Amino acid sequence: MNALFRGILAGLLVWPWLVLGDPESTIETGVNEDVQTLKQQVLELNRDLFMLEEELLFPSNTQVSVFVSMDVGEFFQLDSVQVKLDGKEVADYLYTRRELDALIRGGVQRIHMGNLRTGEHELVAFFTGKGPQGRDYKRGATTRIQKGLGPKYVELKIVDQTRNFQPEFDIKEW
Amino acid sequence: MPKRPLQFLLLWVWLATTSGSYAGSIKPQQVLDLHYGEVLFHFYQEDYFTAISQLMVAQQQNLLQHHQDESELLLGGLQLSYGMPDQAERRFDRLLDHNTDRELRNRVWYYLTKISYQRGHYRGALEKLQKIDKPDEKSIAAELAVLNANLHMALNENGEAAEALKKTRAPDGWEEYLRINRGIALLRAGELEEGRKTLDKLGKENADNEELRTLRDRANLGLGYELLRAGDAVQAREYLNRVRLQGPFKQAALLGAGWADAERGDYKQALTPWLKLLELASYEAPVQEAQLAVPYAFAQLGDSQRAIYFYKQAIDYFDEEQQQLDTAIQGTQSGVLLSLLSQTDTGNSGGWLHDTPTLENIPSGHYLVDVLSAHSFQEPLKDYRDLGYLQQLLNQWLENINLYYDMVDARRLAYQQRAPLIRKRLEKQESKALYQRWQDFQSLTQAQHGSGDPLDLATGKEKLQWRTLRKAQVTLANLPPQPRHTNMLAKARWLQGILYWQIQANYKARLWDVEKQLQALESPLTAAVSKHQQVSDALDNVQVGFDGYDRRIEALRQRILVLLPRIQASRDNASEQLQQLALQELETRRQRLASYRIQARYALARSYDLIAQQSGEQP
Repeated sequence: MNALFRGILAGLLVWPWLVLGDPESTIETGVNEDVQTLKQQVLELNRDLFMLEEELLFPSNTQVSVFVSMDVGEFFQLDSVQVKLDGKEVADYLYTRRELDALIRGGVQRIHMGNLRTGEHELVAFFTGKGPQGRDYKRGATTRIQKGLGPKYVELKIVDQTRNFQPEFDIKEW
Repeated sequence: MPKRPLQFLLLWVWLATTSGSYAGSIKPQQVLDLHYGEVLFHFYQEDYFTAISQLMVAQQQNLLQHHQDESELLLGGLQLSYGMPDQAERRFDRLLDHNTDRELRNRVWYYLTKISYQRGHYRGALEKLQKIDKPDEKSIAAELAVLNANLHMALNENGEAAEALKKTRAPDGWEEYLRINRGIALLRAGELEEGRKTLDKLGKENADNEELRTLRDRANLGLGYELLRAGDAVQAREYLNRVRLQGPFKQAALLGAGWADAERGDYKQALTPWLKLLELASYEAPVQEAQLAVPYAFAQLGDSQRAIYFYKQAIDYFDEEQQQLDTAIQGTQSGVLLSLLSQTDTGNSGGWLHDTPTLENIPSGHYLVDVLSAHSFQEPLKDYRDLGYLQQLLNQWLENINLYYDMVDARRLAYQQRAPLIRKRLEKQESKALYQRWQDFQSLTQAQHGSGDPLDLATGKEKLQWRTLRKAQVTLANLPPQPRHTNMLAKARWLQGILYWQIQANYKARLWDVEKQLQALESPLTAAVSKHQQVSDALDNVQVGFDGYDRRIEALRQRILVLLPRIQASRDNASEQLQQLALQELETRRQRLASYRIQARYALARSYDLIAQQSGEQP
């Protein structure tokens, strides 16, 4: 009977290390060269398809892209952004926690990609969110953008105004 | 303390699956090219496929001029996270050949260390780690220290591992993680007292969130089992008592607590945690082992009747579990696993599986899910899911390709309809004619500076008046010389003089005005001539462009068609590999259960023998 006890105990005492983690166990990469090569080939193909699609759907002479970025304190939580071009709503985006984190860390979201004729156009943008004590914010901005021959990039940056520490849009044409 | 996933403790998994703060930079990045920021947006969400795609497009379009080296480093890191270590390593090596700054080189060495670590080349990884300069930032220093410690532990150099962690000053949120790793390293190095002290302190601390409480449980559980192994059952019981009965380590703690009591010979006390384990309707290892431990304790207490009762119960339990495992094995052989795997195609760009598949209508599904969540399954499962996403993506592109053909056809038709009219208009050479007229006027105004005839700048009306007066004078001169005619002739001459005077008086202003207008016309006229040429060239080239698109689309379509069957074959291999791994794992569990069952039957027979022996001895 003692043999049974010792047998069980010996087996049993090994497994807490499994719970805590055994650094000696090499990670199973499981990634064979075939899968890696396939991934690389699909990525290259995806890039070429993406560029073809962009050329066909958004030729550079008419292409316009609107980007959203953030440079605000941690007390502001962005909920949504709406964008209108020449009075027509082109984007209305609700943010997830994950997307918000990505924006705060320096990521830039392309919120709209479309086509515009050369010339002057009106861009109106709104954002909503929550500030300290859960206070609701809604701010807007209007600007006129000049569309030339090449692609047009507009950045809507949500920044803290130094005078009142409240977030506002800072619009930049690239 | 910031929220970290529980798996963070399993540092080798963490190193394999995330980029770490060193690689990803914990500070918000300053973005100088919008497209680089767009890549970061996807990278920070761990959407590696999209991030790599965006990065490759931006590089191809030369849109990352301010982040050239950083984008190469980021691409390597993304490839590593996406399961492309070979490509990542080649990229990092190229970066080292390049004349890059120190900060970038440090990051490259960090990634190369990770790659070597993942491949199990621990000594090489340590050599690479040594090439990283000592960082100023505490969190990065802590991250590198953990990596260093893990490498030493992997090489069984536990003392060095503990030393590396001891020297590190932990930043906020890292303290507990560094301590538990140091405690483990010390125990493994044989420095039991120091390791015990480290884990003991951690195990007693107040924890204000679930993550820390779980960490505390881990420390107490690990220490309890280590002391049990070292023969110090009293101390072991003390640490195991600290593990919460609401936490994830409840079963392990109850089992260990029973063995600690049993070690001290207190089988009655051992029955309390073990019987509690039997109340749990679970198939996990501690419960299975408690099935044997409970009757063993009764036997030790001399209660053969109860021992027999619980051995019989254990045998029934093992039989039932074995049946469940047999069902799971049969299910796996007949493709049930594939049905579970199909639930893992979540439509996003592959990656690690976070959600547990539903088990409805899947016999013994809990065993399969257990198997699927095992560590050894994660990489092949990730490959399987990644390949599934690539398949979906290419099928979607294949559908879109037909739309692109239609778009190009629609444009070709529009061209065919409009081109003749445009050509006809172009043939009129309107812009060239206008330019010629402009040049004539230009010559005229330049000549004015030499000749200075004011009449050249007369308006149309003035010119008409001038001609009328001249004509009137000729007519009057041919009439009989009567006083009336003579007066009229003089009047006409007088009017002509007045007109000339008016024109001459404004001459300079007129010349300036004409020159100004001609100057203003030069740019639009030149542009019109240039546009004419552009439209003409475009008309000539547009057909070539359409044909180019046709060829390009067809080439891309062919590439999709070549890749799709290869992906399918690779995915079939991955599912086959998963099925084999599942069967091996299930078989191992079945054999373990069979072994338990044999032990239970043997012990049961021994108990019957004992009773018979005792009955025989009775008078």
